[in-house]
Amino acid sequence: MNVLNFHLLSQLQYVEPALCGMLVYFLVRSKAARQFGFLIALLCVRLMCSFICIPLLYFSAHGIERHLAYQVYFYVYWASYALEAIFSLLVIYSIFKLAMAPLKGLQTLGMLVFRWVAAISVAVAIGVALTPHLSGIKFMVAMITQLQQTSSILTLCLLLFVCFAIRPMGLSYGSRIFGVSLGLGFLATINLVNSAWIAHYVSMYSLFSVINALAVGLTLLTWSAYFAFPEPKRRIIVLPTTSPFLRWNQISMALGDDPGYVAVGGIPPDLFAPAELEVMRRASAKMPTALESPSGMHSLSA
Amino acid sequence: MKNIVRAFVVVLALTGAAATTLTPPASAQHKVTATRTSMLPVPVCAPDDPNACGMGLGGH
Repeated sequence: MNVLNFHLLSQLQYVEPALCGMLVYFLVRSKAARQFGFLIALLCVRLMCSFICIPLLYFSAHGIERHLAYQVYFYVYWASYALEAIFSLLVIYSIFKLAMAPLKGLQTLGMLVFRWVAAISVAVAIGVALTPHLSGIKFMVAMITQLQQTSSILTLCLLLFVCFAIRPMGLSYGSRIFGVSLGLGFLATINLVNSAWIAHYVSMYSLFSVINALAVGLTLLTWSAYFAFPEPKRRIIVLPTTSPFLRWNQISMALGDDPGYVAVGGIPPDLFAPAELEVMRRASAKMPTALESPSGMHSLSA
Repeated sequence: MKNIVRAFVVVLALTGAAATTLTPPASAQHKVTATRTSMLPVPVCAPDDPNACGMGLGGH
């Protein structure tokens, strides 16, 4: 079984850089590179990892001592994985920003919440890894694992949000925002399932690696299809006046505005210009007369 | 179509949630417990594995 997996993976490992390169080409050609800059960065990390790891895999059987080759492979693989976890968070952030672009108020509020959630996720990842018996590489692996899990959960939350709030945001299932979210969500699910499964495998050439390869291939092909064809235009967003989206957007837009200020006491007289002081003096001199003689008003009206 | 896509997304989310409950805590294991979805073989063993995790053996 391992021999079959080995031959399958030996072929598939060359497909990933080709698919990544093709996707970067489609992204640049469709002029979406600026909008999806973090996705391009994520793909470039994958490409770099492939360019280092594929020769290592080849030369481990033809020249380089295989234990040394495995050590280098291990560190390159997991270092790129850490970078990918960070870029995944940034991709989710940029997707959320793009999706919420028409609703500026909710976008600002959502991004504020997202930044807090991301910061708490990183803090939790470090906190979980900080146990007395973990140090060095084990600490890093534990922290990255936790970060990846929280990143996957955040991705699935984003996918659910984009899927169910797609109409109020003027998007359709043909939109690139949805396509990228779907791909990220699929990878996140595979990641989480694999995390529960990985402990049962002791070889690199297992069924586990084959399923991983097929999942990433499917995702890269899906993204390529989304970027190869023109995107349907974003619809005009028409919301009923009673829509909670509209109401919350208005409330969010008002949040954080710089308010006006009024002085209510403790004002030293030298703050005012002499002309202002004269006006106030005259006004205060008139006030008791006006209050004390209501008959004056009667006589005026008469 | 809309319902199929929604159902698929819900299934993905539920599968992810179920898998999270089955995943051992990262700090409880000395083995690699993270996965990176990639077409490259996953180095599941520790870097000092005596068998080099099967690397360079042609799958044997």
